[in-house]
Amino acid sequence: MKYVILIHSNPRPWGHPTADYLPEHQVLPQEQRDRLNKDFEDGFAEVIRRGEFVHGEALAAPSSSRLFRWRDGDRVATDGPYAEGKEHFAGFFLIDVDSHERAEEIATLFAGPGETVELRPVMSDGSDGST
Amino acid sequence: MNNEFEDVWRRATPHVLGALARRHDNFADCEDAVQLALVAAAEQWPREGLPDNPTGWLIRVAGRRLIDLVRTDVSRRSREERTTRLTDAVATAASESTVADDTLLLLILCAHPALTPSSQAALMLRAVAGLTTREIAMGFFVPEATMAQRISRAKASLRDAGGRFQSPPRSELPARLHAVRHAVALLYTQAHSLGEPSRSPGRTPDSLLPGIALRLSRELHRLAPTDPENAGLLALLLLTQARAPARLDPAGELVPLEDQDRRLWNREYISEGIALIEKALPTGYVGSFQLQAAIAAVHAEGASTASTDWEQILVLYEMLEQVDPTPAATLGRAVATAEAIGPAAGLAILAELPESSHRRHAAAGHMLSRLGRRDEARSEFLRAAELTRSIPEQRYLNRLGTQAI
Repeated sequence: MKYVILIHSNPRPWGHPTADYLPEHQVLPQEQRDRLNKDFEDGFAEVIRRGEFVHGEALAAPSSSRLFRWRDGDRVATDGPYAEGKEHFAGFFLIDVDSHERAEEIATLFAGPGETVELRPVMSDGSDGST
Repeated sequence: MNNEFEDVWRRATPHVLGALARRHDNFADCEDAVQLALVAAAEQWPREGLPDNPTGWLIRVAGRRLIDLVRTDVSRRSREERTTRLTDAVATAASESTVADDTLLLLILCAHPALTPSSQAALMLRAVAGLTTREIAMGFFVPEATMAQRISRAKASLRDAGGRFQSPPRSELPARLHAVRHAVALLYTQAHSLGEPSRSPGRTPDSLLPGIALRLSRELHRLAPTDPENAGLLALLLLTQARAPARLDPAGELVPLEDQDRRLWNREYISEGIALIEKALPTGYVGSFQLQAAIAAVHAEGASTASTDWEQILVLYEMLEQVDPTPAATLGRAVATAEAIGPAAGLAILAELPESSHRRHAAAGHMLSRLGRRDEARSEFLRAAELTRSIPEQRYLNRLGTQAI
């Protein structure tokens, strides 16, 4: 079953890995930051080793995006992002795992200080969708 | 690649792998050697024509590759001794005809409990069905690199768990056959549940996987015919596959069972499936696959939903819930109850299912609309559409939910 792990973040300046640019992460003692990074790297190495990692991309800064809308009966394009956005979509990982529990286990790896992580099942993933 | 050659080596693969694996403990080495031999065949056969004895040819080439691999592997210790032993073994293997045993042993090895279900299925596709990593990746809709990692990881787990190419102890055999059946069933649903013909132009793994799953379950039944669950699995796949031509309309929309054009059902598969299950049911223990097949058989026998014997289906679902209590069995019992007794009784059973199950809400929608509770029915359909992960199903449910029923 396939899942997308969506990383919502608002690092300033925009950069990846997002954790390095987040104030919540920066205030932690170096030792704890190192441990969090290592936990993630070890966990994700296992994901790759098991053949569960399908695809992932880090996204460029939201200020580089263009928004497309419908206004007054016509299509209009404006520069992004939504000004009110506290968090922006920063990147995604596509995984293919044997169970929902495993997907949650992997998504947990991504949740660090200042990060919001969303786990979404993919439609037409080949499973029968029953829970 | 020429289909004629492809079919030859797909059929030869379990024999070639079996011949190697019986003499050499490391399954991963044997599997690599077979893949190398298939690559050699893909290069040479189209140019030089099919050899007189293709299986013998493949065993010979794979044997040489295996020796190369082992030489590299054990170059520092007892190299000469092991390679000599192996050369003799492979030379005699070509003359033996143990295809049947090999296929069964390979299936059992691939269904090793140390592997996840999808890894078990992927290994079977390579080891027993002779698919390339690329074809398997297409069947599972993942990139080739991902599938390659998954397969090499599976082989490593097999090695770590001491997976050997030999019959497991008799006491373990029923459990292992059970795992084999589940992996074969997974192969079938993997492609079947996607159900979008637009994704399968021509002979892609979408259309290939159900055929392979059917072939493997046929093989399993032939090799261990005394296990009634093997007959049950084969019957279930035949009866399900029989309905495939009527499952989607020309626009790719899902057609529910009650609206399917039964003239499109494959009669040959249906009679074969029914004969199998009628013979299997009275012979021994009654397992999950036999009961599911028996339910599919009752559906196939009815000329329409109205003339379907719902009382019998209800009894079968009650038995299924005893043998193998799953949400799917409870759902089946709810639907059969609604038909045999009444929609209100069916609704009461649906309440036992998890709130997050889209099937629960879809079934509730149908039952509520039969009770004339249209608003509730519509919201159940829309809730089901939100929860499903199948696009054709979502389109179908949204249509029901937005229509005035």
